Amino acid sequence: MNRFYTVLQTCWDWRAAANFMFGGTGSALMLMIAIASYPETPPLLLGLTALAFIGLGLFMVWLEIGRPWRFIHTYFHPQTSWMTREASAAILLFPIAFVGIVFKIPAMITLAGLLGLLFLYCQARILLASKGIPAWREPTILPLIISTGLVEGTALLLLSLLILDSIQGWALYLLLALLAVRIQSWNKYRKQLTAGKASKQTLSVLSSIHTSTIWLGNVLPLILVAISLMVPSLTVMLVCIASILAVLSGWYMKFTIITRAAQYQGYSLGKLKRGRPTIKPPVRRKPDRFVF
Amino acid sequence: MNAKTAKKPADITKVSTYCYQCVNGPDLLTVEVIDGVATKVEPNFDLKGEHPADGKVCVKPFGLIQKLYNPHRIKRPMKRTNPKKGRNEDPGWVDISWDEALDIVAEKMNAARAKGVQDENGNPRLALTLGGAATPFKYMGSFPALMFAWGPIDQSLGAGGTVKCYHSEHMFGELWHRAFTVLPDTPRCEYIISFGNNIDASGGVTGVRRHADARSRGMKRIQFEPHLSVTGASATEWVPIKAKTDSAVLFSMLHILFYETPIDKLDVPFLKDRTASPYLVGPNGFYLRDPESKKPLLWDNNTNKAVAHDTTGTDPAILGSFTVDNAIEVGADEETWSHQNIEADTGLEKAKQLVADRTPEWAAEISDVPAETIRRITNEYLAHAHIGETEEIDGRVIPFRPVCTVLGKSVNNGWGGYECVWAHTMMQVLMGALEVSGSMLGSTTHLAGDTDWDRSLTVDIGEDGFMSHTFTPTSKEGWNDAPINRHAQDCITPMAGKNMGAQLFGSTTLAWLRLQERAAESWPKPNPPDIWFVYKANPAISFSETDKMGDAMAKFPFIAAFAYTFDETNHYADVLMPEATDLESDQLLRLGGTHYFENHWESEGWALRQAVVPPQHEAKDFSWIANELARRTGLLEAYNSVINGAGCGIPLQGEGYDFSLDVTKEHDQEEIWDAVCKAASFDLTAGKETLGLEWFREHGYKTRPYSRLNWYLYPLIEDKGLRFELPYQERYFRMGKELANRLHETGVHWWDRQLAEYEPLPKWMDLNKLWDELIEKNHNVKAADYPFWLLTGRSMQYAWGANVGIQMMKEVSDNVFGHDGIIINAGKAAELGISDGDEIEVTSPVASTRGIARLRQGVRPDVIIMIAQFGQWKMPFAKDLKRPNLNKLVPMNQDYIDGSGSSIDGTKIYITRVGAA
Amino acid sequence: MTRYVMIADLNRCVGCQTCTAACKHTNDTAPGVMWRKVIDVEWGEYPDVERLFMPVGCQHCADPPCMHVCPSTATGQREDGIVTIDYDLCIGCSYCVVACPYQARYKVDKPHFAYGDTPMESEEIRFDEKRIGVAQKCTFCSDRIDAGVEKGLTPGIDPDATPGCVNACIADALSFGDIEDENSNVSELLAENSWFQMHEELGTETGFYYLYDQEPPEETESE
Repeated sequence: MNRFYTVLQTCWDWRAAANFMFGGTGSALMLMIAIASYPETPPLLLGLTALAFIGLGLFMVWLEIGRPWRFIHTYFHPQTSWMTREASAAILLFPIAFVGIVFKIPAMITLAGLLGLLFLYCQARILLASKGIPAWREPTILPLIISTGLVEGTALLLLSLLILDSIQGWALYLLLALLAVRIQSWNKYRKQLTAGKASKQTLSVLSSIHTSTIWLGNVLPLILVAISLMVPSLTVMLVCIASILAVLSGWYMKFTIITRAAQYQGYSLGKLKRGRPTIKPPVRRKPDRFVF
Repeated sequence: MNAKTAKKPADITKVSTYCYQCVNGPDLLTVEVIDGVATKVEPNFDLKGEHPADGKVCVKPFGLIQKLYNPHRIKRPMKRTNPKKGRNEDPGWVDISWDEALDIVAEKMNAARAKGVQDENGNPRLALTLGGAATPFKYMGSFPALMFAWGPIDQSLGAGGTVKCYHSEHMFGELWHRAFTVLPDTPRCEYIISFGNNIDASGGVTGVRRHADARSRGMKRIQFEPHLSVTGASATEWVPIKAKTDSAVLFSMLHILFYETPIDKLDVPFLKDRTASPYLVGPNGFYLRDPESKKPLLWDNNTNKAVAHDTTGTDPAILGSFTVDNAIEVGADEETWSHQNIEADTGLEKAKQLVADRTPEWAAEISDVPAETIRRITNEYLAHAHIGETEEIDGRVIPFRPVCTVLGKSVNNGWGGYECVWAHTMMQVLMGALEVSGSMLGSTTHLAGDTDWDRSLTVDIGEDGFMSHTFTPTSKEGWNDAPINRHAQDCITPMAGKNMGAQLFGSTTLAWLRLQERAAESWPKPNPPDIWFVYKANPAISFSETDKMGDAMAKFPFIAAFAYTFDETNHYADVLMPEATDLESDQLLRLGGTHYFENHWESEGWALRQAVVPPQHEAKDFSWIANELARRTGLLEAYNSVINGAGCGIPLQGEGYDFSLDVTKEHDQEEIWDAVCKAASFDLTAGKETLGLEWFREHGYKTRPYSRLNWYLYPLIEDKGLRFELPYQERYFRMGKELANRLHETGVHWWDRQLAEYEPLPKWMDLNKLWDELIEKNHNVKAADYPFWLLTGRSMQYAWGANVGIQMMKEVSDNVFGHDGIIINAGKAAELGISDGDEIEVTSPVASTRGIARLRQGVRPDVIIMIAQFGQWKMPFAKDLKRPNLNKLVPMNQDYIDGSGSSIDGTKIYITRVGAA
Repeated sequence: MTRYVMIADLNRCVGCQTCTAACKHTNDTAPGVMWRKVIDVEWGEYPDVERLFMPVGCQHCADPPCMHVCPSTATGQREDGIVTIDYDLCIGCSYCVVACPYQARYKVDKPHFAYGDTPMESEEIRFDEKRIGVAQKCTFCSDRIDAGVEKGLTPGIDPDATPGCVNACIADALSFGDIEDENSNVSELLAENSWFQMHEELGTETGFYYLYDQEPPEETESE
C-alpha cells in the first residue's frame, strides 16, 4: 500500500466530536432510561438530561456548519445520507420523548428509547460512510461506536440511579457486559487498522490512548463494578467512580478518533492497467434510490 | 461587493501581452479585463502550433494580477529623510511628487556630468544594476536609450551575474559554436546526459514542453546530480553524484571513448574536417605553423607531409605524433620559435593523453558513481549517436546525431567550469554531435555580436580556419591597463570581448570586492558611483556574503531605485520611483527565431507587451521617466538619436523606411512604440506591411517563417570551410600568456591563480580538495569542520523578479517540496538527531542562517539544499516567511573566482540543531 | 452518451503548478483553496529514490461517496458525470469533505484575501458571497464546457470549452474529453498507454485517469 499526504482532517473539530460524544451518550441514555423505566416513565429531570445531552451535541455541531440557518436542508437526502437519517431520528425523538416525559406516556418513552438507539446507530453509520478517513470507514467502528454509546448511556443511567437512590442491579450487570463488549470492540478495531489500512500517524495516535482506554477506561471500571456487586456497601462510591471513568474514556476515545486519529486516506499510485477501461456510467443517470 | 449579481453586463476584454520575467521568454498571454479591472491570465491560444508550447505561459505570469494590485506597492515617489544609511536605520521615507523626484535625480546627474562622466580612476560616475539576467532591460521602455546617450555606464555592480548564470558556458560556448547557452535539439534528441541541468525547473515553457514531448517519444535522460531535482524526477535515471566531481566523470567518459572504443565508432570525418583535431602542437604549446603563411599545420596521410590546414584534398591525421620538417610557433606577444624536424602531437592526441589516467575506476573513487555505471551510460550514449546518419531539412542534408550532454549552473561556474564545459563539448565533438540535427546546439550570442536574435549573422571567417571572435585585446598595444568599469572586465577577463554588453560578463563579484577593499590590492579602491540606478534587482539578498553587501551600499552617495515595494536593497536608496510594472507598460520585443535555452521556433517576429490597465497609483511608464530626465539633463537629442538608432530594439530608419522621431522634440511612449512597431513590421515583411501600435495592440504579435535549418550552425560552418575550435585551446592559451605579461608588467600578481587556468587543455582539478584548501586559507577554519555542501536548486515559481512577495506564488510553490526550509537527507538527519520540522542552523566560514529541516531521501547525505532565495527582512510579505538565505553564507572572495570571472552560489557548511518543530 | 474525464500523464508532469495557478485564476478561488493542485511525491530509500508529480483534485467519480453522504442534496451529479455542488443548498457541514478519499473539497468560512482582510480590486470584482461557508471543489469548469458546447465547440479540443488547468498545462500533461466516445482524444490515450485510477479498490470509479508506466511502490507512506 502506498500513500502520500496522509494529513489530519481539520474540518470536523471538537464541535463535531462533541456531537458524537454527547449525542452518543445521550441517545444511549435515552434507550437505557426507556428500559429502566418500563413500563412506567422516567423522572422529569432524568428524561430531560438525556435530551439535553443529545441537544448539546447537536448544538455544538450546528455551531460548526458554515451556513447554520440552512439547517433545514439537512433533511433533504434520506435516500442515502446517514446525516439526514440522524437528524430525522432526532427530530422525531425530541417531541416524542418530551411528550412522553412531561405527560408521562410510557409508549412514547419506549418509542423514544428505540429512536435513541436508532440515533446512535446513525452516528456510527455516519462515520462508516466517511470514505476519506480510513479510521472512520473501518467496519469495526460500527460496534465500537455503538458499544461505547451504550456503555456511556448505561454508566450515566447508573449515576442517575445512584443520585435518585434507586439503583437497579441489572444495570450493573449490563454495564459489566457492555464494558467487556467495548474492550473487545476496541481491540478488534485497532487490530483491523493495521499498517496498510491506516497511516502510521493514525496507528500511533490510537496506540497512545490504548493503555488508558483499556485499563483506566474499561478494565478498572469493570473491576470496580464487579467488586461493588460483591461488596454492596461500596456500591455508591465504586459505581460512581466506575461510571465516570467509563463515560470519560468513551468521550476521550471518540474525541481522539474524530480529531486526532483522523488522517486522510492520502494519495496513492495504482496498479497499472492496459487497454481501454471498462467504464461504469455515472450512478445518477438512474434516479436516487434508498440505500441502507 | 458582488459582481455576479451586478445588473448591467460587465465590459469584458481580453488583452494580449507577453511575459519576459525570465530569459526563456517572451511567451505570450492574454489578460482578461472586467470593467477596467485585470482579473485573470490565460495562454494566447492564437499561437497554437507556432509557439513551441502552443501559446502557453508558466506559473509566474499568473502572479502578475496580484503584482499589479499588491497593496504593498510603492504608490508614488519617495525620498529619504534620514541621512544615515544602515541595516538598522529607518530611511525615513516621505512621499514626494514626480517633479521633485526627477529634479533630485537630474541634479545628481548634471553634477556628475559637470565633474566628468568618469571619475579620477576612470570609472563611470553613473552605475546601473539590473537583475534577471538582463531581462529587465526589456521592461524599461526607452530608458536604456537614455543610459546609452549618457556615456560610459558601469554595469559591473552585479546582483548575481557570473555566479548565478552559466558563465563558463557563455564564454567558451560562444567561442566554440556561438552558444551563449547550449541546448539539445530536443525534438529529435534520443539520449541526454545531464550534470545538474534542471531544465524542467529552469527551461521555461518551451523547455518543459519540448522535454515532455521528447519523453513521450522515448527520449532518455540520465541525471547526474547531488539531489533529486524536479528534472531528476522525470529522468530515466538519477545518479547521485558527489558534489563538484562532475569533471571526473566527464573525463572518464572521454577516456572510455578514447581508450575503450574503436576509433571508427567515433565521427572521424567530423573530427578530420570540422574540428582542429588534426592541428599539430609544438613544444611550447602553440600550433606548429607554416613559416610563410603562418597557417596552422596538419599531417596529411595522403602525402605524408605536414601542410597548411586549409590545403584541399588532404586526409588529415587526427591522432598520433608526427615529425615536421620546418615550422614556427607563435606565442604570446608575437614571440616566435623556429623548429626543424620537430615531433608534434595532433590536438586530438593531446586531448587523448589528457585523459589517459582518467579511468572510470579512478572517477568512481572520486565521484561515488560506480565505474560500471559510467561505462554503461557512455556506451548507451555512443549507441544513440547514429554516427553516419543524416537528415534533410529544407533541402539541405546535415548529419543526424541525436545525443547531447548538458550542464547545470553550479557545474558551469567557478573552478571546474572550464574542465566541465570542455569535457562535455568534447563528448559532442567525438560523436560529431555539435550543431547538427538532434545534437547539442547553441541558442544565441551576446559576446560574438549584437544580433542576439539570429546567431547565424555572427559566423564570419576568422583566423586559423576558425570563426572570427573578438576578445578584449591583450597585446601590448591593445590592452587597457586602466580598468574602466569597477570589475575591470576590459583588463582581466578578456573572453568577455568588446561588444556593447561585454561588461555584463566580467566578474561582478570583483566589483563588490573592490568596493569592500577585499581584492585587487595593487589597484586603488574604486569610488562608489556618484549615482547608482537599481531596477528589478536586489543584490542585498541575491548576491554573496550579503551582510557585507548592505554595508557597501550604505556608503554609496546617491542611489535612485526604481521600486516596486520596499526591499533590502532600496532600503539604502535615496529616492524611490515606482515604475509601471509588467501589465502597465508598453514594449515591443523580438519573438521566436532561436533564443536562450529552448526557445527555438520555426517562426520569428515581434510581440507587444502593453498596458492592460492604466498604471496603478502614480506609477509611470519608463519612457515617460526617460523623457523627463532627458529634458532635465540636456540629453534629449542624444537620447532621441539613440532611439532612432536601435535603442528600442530596431533602427527607426533603414533601407526603404524612415519612421525616425524628431530628435528635438519629446515623444511619449505611444509615439515611440508606434514608430518601433512600424519599423519592425516593415523590416519583418520586407516592406510589404507597415503596422503601427494600434495594430499590435489588437493582434498582439506578428511573425514570419524561420527555417529550422537556422537552428544548426553546421551548414554555415561547412559552407564557409570552417572548423570548430576544439579540442585544443591555443588562442585561449596565448591570450592567457599575454594577459599574464600585461598584468605582471603593471605589478598585478593577485590574479595569478586565475591566470593559471588559461591552459590549452584543462587539467583535472580535485575541486573538493581545492575548496577545503581555500576555506582553510581564507577563513582560518578547519575544512573537516565543514563537511556538507550547501547547494541551491531552481524554483520555477519564484525565479526572477519579486515573486517572493506575491502571495499566490507562495501558495502554489508550497506544493513543491522544500521551499519552506532546508532539504536534508533523512538518514543523515536521523544521525544528527534532527526531525522533520526542527529548526537548524547552517554555518559557512562566513555566516549562519536558520531554517526548518525538511527530510528527504532524494538528496545525498553530504549535501543540503536551499531552494530559491529567501531571507528577506524588509520586503513586505516575504519578510514574514522566515526562510533561510543561502547567499548570505557564500563567501565573496577572490580565490573562489575562476579565470573567466565566475564563482558558484554554494559553499561548505556544518549543521547545528537549534530546536524542535 | 457523454462522460467527461480528465487524464494526467505522469511522465509529462513536472510539478510546475501552472495548472494550480490557472485554476485559481479561472475559478477565482480564495487564498489557500486549490481545486487543482500538483503534489510532490517521493518514495524509496537513498540512493534508490523515485520522485514524481501528481495533479490531484476532484476525480468526478461515477459513484461519488460525497454525493451519497450529503444531507442536503447540494452535491449532485450531471448526466455527463460531472459532480456538482449547489452552493445555495449546501449547509457547510463538511461531511462531503471527510467522505472524499481524494482530499478534493474545501470550505472557506470567512472571506479572506491574499494580503489580509481587504480585497484587492481584482479580488473584489470577482468575490462571490455564495461560496462562503459551503463546500467547494473542482467543477471540471462546467460553466466553460457548457458555454463552449452551446457554441458548437468540443471540450478538451477547443480552449473555450476546456477546463482552465488543461488549457494552461505547459507540459501538455493534462487532457480532457468524452470517454464514451471511443474515438475521442481521451479514449485514444487510454487505449495506447498504461494507466491507473486512484484508490480503485474503494469502488469510486473515478473520472480521472493517470497515465504511467511503472508499477506502484509497495509499502511506502508519507505525511
